[in-house]
Amino acid sequence: MSPFALLFGGALLSPLIQGGYWLKGLTLLLLTIAGYNIWLGEGVGLAFFAQTDAIRFFEGILVLVAAALVLHLDDTESGRLTQLLFIVAGSMALLESTTLLSFVISFEALSIISFVLVSNINSEKQAEGAIKLFFAGATSTGIVLLGLALFTLSGQSVDTPLAATQDSFVLVSLFIVLIGIFYKLTIFPMHAWAADSYAQVNHVDAAILSAVMKTVVALATFQLFSPLLTSLNQNMIIGLAILAVVTMTLGNLLALYQKNIAKMLAYSSIAHAGYMLIPFAAIASHDAPTAILYLAIAYLFMQTAVFLILDRLHKDQGIASVEDLKGLARKNPLYALLFSVQLFSLAGIPLLAGFLAKAVAFYAGVDAGLWPLVLIALLNSALSVAYYAWLVKQMYFDEAYNPQPIINKAGFVWSELILLAGTLYFGVVAVDVFRVAS
Amino acid sequence: MGYLGMILAPIFLAVFVYALFGHRPALVRGIALATFVLQFVFSAHLFSQLPDTGFVLLGSFLAVDAFHFALTLQVDSLSVVMLLLSSLLLFLVTLSSWTIEKPAAYFSLLILFSGAIMGVFMTSNMLWFFMFWELTLLPMFFLVGIWGGERRIYAAIKFFLYTHAASVLMLLAFFLVYTQTGFFDFTLVKEAAIATPALVWWLLFIGFAIKLPVFPFHTWLPDAHVEAPAPVSVLLAGVLLKMGAYGLIRFGIEMMPETSREFALYMLAFGLLTAFFAGLLAIYQTHIKKMVAYSSISHMGLVLIAISTVSYEGLSAALFEMLGHAAIISPLFLIAGMIYQQTGSYQMRDMGGMMQQAPYLSAIFVLAGMAALGMPATMGFIGEVTIYLSSIKIYGAGIAVMAILSLISAGYLIWTFRRVIYGECSPLMASSAFKINPIEFSALLVFAVLIVLFGIYPQPIFDVANQSFFMLGGH
Amino acid sequence: MNLNLLPFLAIFPFIGAALAFVLGKQQRGLAFWVAEIVGLSLFLASVLLAIQYTTPITLDYTWLTFGTTALPFGLYVDGLSIVMLLIATGLGLLDIHFAHDYMAEDKDQARYYAKVLFFIGGMILLVMAKDMIGVFVGWEFMGLASYLLISFWHRQKAPADAGMQAFLYTRFGDIFIFAAIGLLFYFVGTLDLLQINNLAKVGVIDHQVALVIAVFIFIGAIGKSGQFPLFPWLMNAMEGPTTVSALIHGATMVNAGIYIVARLFDFYLSTEALLVVASVGALSAFIGATSALVQTEMKKVLAYSTMSHLALAFVGLGVGSLAAGMMHLVNHAVFKALLFLSVGGVILAAHHQKDVWQLGGLRTKLPLLAALMAIGGLSLSGIAPFSGFFSKDAVLTAALLNPETQGLIATLATLAALLSIAYFGRLWLLMFQGEPRNATLHEQIHAPSLFWIALPLAIMALITLGLSFYQAEIAQFITGKAEVSAHVDGLLTGLMIGLSLLALIVFGFYAKDLTLVKKMAQHPFLRMIHQLLFHGYYVEAMIGWFSKQVIVEGFAKAMAWTDKHIVDAVINGFLPTTQAIFKRLQTTQTGLIGDYMGMMVTGLAVLMLVAMMVGV
Repeated sequence: MSPFALLFGGALLSPLIQGGYWLKGLTLLLLTIAGYNIWLGEGVGLAFFAQTDAIRFFEGILVLVAAALVLHLDDTESGRLTQLLFIVAGSMALLESTTLLSFVISFEALSIISFVLVSNINSEKQAEGAIKLFFAGATSTGIVLLGLALFTLSGQSVDTPLAATQDSFVLVSLFIVLIGIFYKLTIFPMHAWAADSYAQVNHVDAAILSAVMKTVVALATFQLFSPLLTSLNQNMIIGLAILAVVTMTLGNLLALYQKNIAKMLAYSSIAHAGYMLIPFAAIASHDAPTAILYLAIAYLFMQTAVFLILDRLHKDQGIASVEDLKGLARKNPLYALLFSVQLFSLAGIPLLAGFLAKAVAFYAGVDAGLWPLVLIALLNSALSVAYYAWLVKQMYFDEAYNPQPIINKAGFVWSELILLAGTLYFGVVAVDVFRVAS
Repeated sequence: MGYLGMILAPIFLAVFVYALFGHRPALVRGIALATFVLQFVFSAHLFSQLPDTGFVLLGSFLAVDAFHFALTLQVDSLSVVMLLLSSLLLFLVTLSSWTIEKPAAYFSLLILFSGAIMGVFMTSNMLWFFMFWELTLLPMFFLVGIWGGERRIYAAIKFFLYTHAASVLMLLAFFLVYTQTGFFDFTLVKEAAIATPALVWWLLFIGFAIKLPVFPFHTWLPDAHVEAPAPVSVLLAGVLLKMGAYGLIRFGIEMMPETSREFALYMLAFGLLTAFFAGLLAIYQTHIKKMVAYSSISHMGLVLIAISTVSYEGLSAALFEMLGHAAIISPLFLIAGMIYQQTGSYQMRDMGGMMQQAPYLSAIFVLAGMAALGMPATMGFIGEVTIYLSSIKIYGAGIAVMAILSLISAGYLIWTFRRVIYGECSPLMASSAFKINPIEFSALLVFAVLIVLFGIYPQPIFDVANQSFFMLGGH
Repeated sequence: MNLNLLPFLAIFPFIGAALAFVLGKQQRGLAFWVAEIVGLSLFLASVLLAIQYTTPITLDYTWLTFGTTALPFGLYVDGLSIVMLLIATGLGLLDIHFAHDYMAEDKDQARYYAKVLFFIGGMILLVMAKDMIGVFVGWEFMGLASYLLISFWHRQKAPADAGMQAFLYTRFGDIFIFAAIGLLFYFVGTLDLLQINNLAKVGVIDHQVALVIAVFIFIGAIGKSGQFPLFPWLMNAMEGPTTVSALIHGATMVNAGIYIVARLFDFYLSTEALLVVASVGALSAFIGATSALVQTEMKKVLAYSTMSHLALAFVGLGVGSLAAGMMHLVNHAVFKALLFLSVGGVILAAHHQKDVWQLGGLRTKLPLLAALMAIGGLSLSGIAPFSGFFSKDAVLTAALLNPETQGLIATLATLAALLSIAYFGRLWLLMFQGEPRNATLHEQIHAPSLFWIALPLAIMALITLGLSFYQAEIAQFITGKAEVSAHVDGLLTGLMIGLSLLALIVFGFYAKDLTLVKKMAQHPFLRMIHQLLFHGYYVEAMIGWFSKQVIVEGFAKAMAWTDKHIVDAVINGFLPTTQAIFKRLQTTQTGLIGDYMGMMVTGLAVLMLVAMMVGV
């Protein structure tokens, strides 16, 4: 059975089940079955959708991460379970889209689910974050539709796969669509909302938005738009490269002295969007598809993990600012360790997925002849170590203000272990990703 | 697979050792000790397997053919010497941190470090080399940051960021090499042509120079050394700096000998600058550990001078000096640390008359210091004289200015002896008991024996060194 | 047999040193006996070597091979080496013997004897070395040993300072030797001393290069032998035990400088460097002799006299007479050891009082020491028939006969030679003649042991006398060729008259009544001269000023400043820089949705414009 239908159906039916505990179990079961089906090679199974090896592999991982998210959630958060199922289903659709039409529909659907997701509002701050997300989404939808309209005006059909073209009208229109989509990827100059939203909405939502949504959109966009990218001339490629550089530099610089952990992670997410743009610019390289896939996988694991840890810490001790982390290694060594490993992975320390992913992406850049871009990216990556290490410093080198220990929570630990396993596995074993991507 | 285990097991199991046996520090220490002994035995075993020249392939793991990315383990005599050095140093460091605080975490980090360092010296794949190289930073970051002195956080973060920033240049160079030649394995790159050798070479050089460290990229080192606990300083000086030299030899000299020759004069200039600058700075220090740190930099300047010759003689001398530097600087750091432990001060003006309180400790300090200033019958002399002769052979008479370095080093060391060891007992010294743990002292003795043994009979080291750099013999 | 003696001589002192230390730590007295036995066996081995000697013995050994270059460490023994060996081991043995009483009260005997044996070992290594590497090893060993021995009483400030000074001053000379090694390696291609001599003789070595190398090696010799301007360490080294002073000045260290020039004599002959040697020698001889005149500390008088006499030996070499220079060295070694140990005997008897103005009138208390010291002193002053006379005469003759040096150099040397009677006479008179100037001290003085103290002195006195009869033979043994004895008219007569006059003057000043001396000390001009001489022409102050103010406070401080305020500041500057950028960028995050949307749309517009401009 199509995993898409399974998840979509499950999502539709889930509100019927009362009691978060049961729903969690059922969701996990559903995800397991979906995962198994994906493993068997089944996708959305509709017209305009097709599954490549790389996508199938990524979908499998997406399901795994979704399972980790489910494990993390409290029993009371049954609404989120439904939305999560919708998101996984929508992501599958987006990832497998082969035409502009199916892509835009899936993309908009996913946007709407994300609006729903952030509308679980408990505080004024969260409301502000949700509204920003909504407005940004609405504006970018407008941009996407503008591009789409121009595209159809040029006489192209939206229900056939994109192909390489030299028609500049078509290219411009597609470029506008691409820029509209970049809002979701938080590429400069469409990044500003993200820093606020990610930091203000619920941390689990932030995890879903900044990790799941972003990687899915990046990967799907790359898949669909690579013919367009190959048709772009060198100037446009350099333009993309500049966008990438500006985005990552801005993100890193703004993350440096943030006092709020969520905000710091939000900016780090923007910086990572910059890294994800490198494979777009490096389309000439043979390794660009691998690079984007690897980045997506690694980022999915580590970004989800850090926001979930933050959520846990916030729930347990109201930890929000960097200072609050002081002495975490004493209060709960396991949490501190898990957090540090994922942070180091984000920082690009080797033997963790973040490093290999960046390495492949940066290599693709070098291979495409963009080594100055890569040099800046590398220096950015080095700069980013500063704030990740700063967080680690708080946890390990400083004494706690409030030495009260934090007690391990089983569901959370399991979810984190799944994510840790991913970060470690893809940090050492690269062969799978390369196999499916080629 | 066993070879892979030697590298990956310590890296991934260190955390478990800590988690499982955290409450039994003596056991963790024992495990650490056993690990290092095992690694030493393993390295010695590799040593016996070595062919007369070239590499011995130990296997290739986790291969990604599409990316030429595989954990290829290949060793030659150079890497085995480095393996022996690092495992021996780790063992001695364990002994000399016998009574450290928070032992479980400390020794787990050492175990983690040992795995990474084995990887650095065993793999011939540049990307994996880089990965292990970077991984060594992590345990060091924690070791300095947690067990360090007053400004430990500044030092740890500076060290981490500075050296990390340096190594990204190296990564870029590796990528350039790969796109241009299609190989990540440096034994294969040698035969291929690199299209932009100058760019690659300079990126690599700066990357390694910061680790070495070379003036003006050295400022992370005094801070890290001063704040780190003494045994960690030993690792920094004995292993981490050697990684810089090893990298420069492997990727600069062996991989791109022609380019290295082209830029040899720059290396020489950097080497001389480093040696003189750090030497003069050492004279000016009043902080005993800083003095040792600058002395260490100065000696690494000598290593760079030797490497810059790109000759059979020079490289052999460089390797000897690398080992000599480890054997000489380590006891100096350890004793400086012990003095601090006993007196609570690093300032030399507070000291004096240590010979009366701790004659044997002082004697080893003097011995190591004498070795550092190039006294014959110590490793320091052999290193200095061979570097000197090999570089004068290449660069001509002007190199004779290097002789001044021996005066500078004598200046700061003898003056340090005067201020710390000889003379009247300072009140601070007099009130210190100098109860040294015998196990920690035994590590010092080993260093002392090594300094003298290989100072009198250096040929075994040169046999290996000559074997390592035989391919440069034609020049 | 001979071959086996060489490694024995080279290695045994070091084994002995280790043994003396280890056994001495077990039981204090053992250290001495180990040292005595080791010393004796070394001396016997040297004697055996001398007796059996027919032709030079060579023993080749490669220390290490790095790359394709081999670093040799050969041993080579010829007449010159054997004489040096006999001096080092013979005087060393007597010195050890003397130390039994002199160091009896010291707790650190194990350390003392170990270092002494190490010291002797260094000298043996030096004089037997076949190549510059071996020379340098022995050279540095002696530097180390002298450092350790001078600061033997490390608990006090002065010896610790003196040790540091000795090491650094000699090290300054050593770096020139080190440089010379490199230059020899590069230009000559060999470090073998004999080959260097041979190549120089045939004239293959470039003249300029040879001059530089020769001067460099000589600077090393200046350091070790305490010549101008590197002599102050030699005076301050008097802070060490007197036995150590005797060892440094008689048996080992200071001879090394002369030895190396003598060893490379053919090489020196081929360059103009000998003139440098002679000039520095003459200047040092004069400075040493004049400064010795006014010292109050007994040992310092002797130290300046060492400087002066070694300088005469250098003059001998410098004016081209190997025999004269070396013979003066040999004679000097013996009588200087004798003098030091005599003074040591007095110091021991006087409870470590070293100031000559606190003594006086000791001839009744210590008649034997007075007589023995007088023998040494007469030899030093160059009174016939003591050995010193012959070599001094030879040196001055050679200086006067050499057309290049017969002017100023010969004059200075002659003056220095003459002045030795003055300072020695003053010293001896102040010690033994007149009235005791410190009555309480005088009461406590008692005669030292005959066997431990007087015996070695007597032996040395006998040797000093005996040497007089074998001057020519020894010279021939050393140089390997018979020297035609030269003659200068009137030199002998002049010397004799000068010496007698000076002796009379000194006697007049110091023997009976000291009022005249004290009155002269009041005169401002004379006081100025006195101060100048007393402080060794302020050379130490100048070097000290230079090294402290220029090197440490100048260069090193400038470097430290650069390091902190430029090199490191650039790195630390990242913090405020990024902080400032951060603050600036923060202002773009207004938190207002309108701004964000505006940014988006403006961004889109700009991007589209750019796309239009550069073409898609």
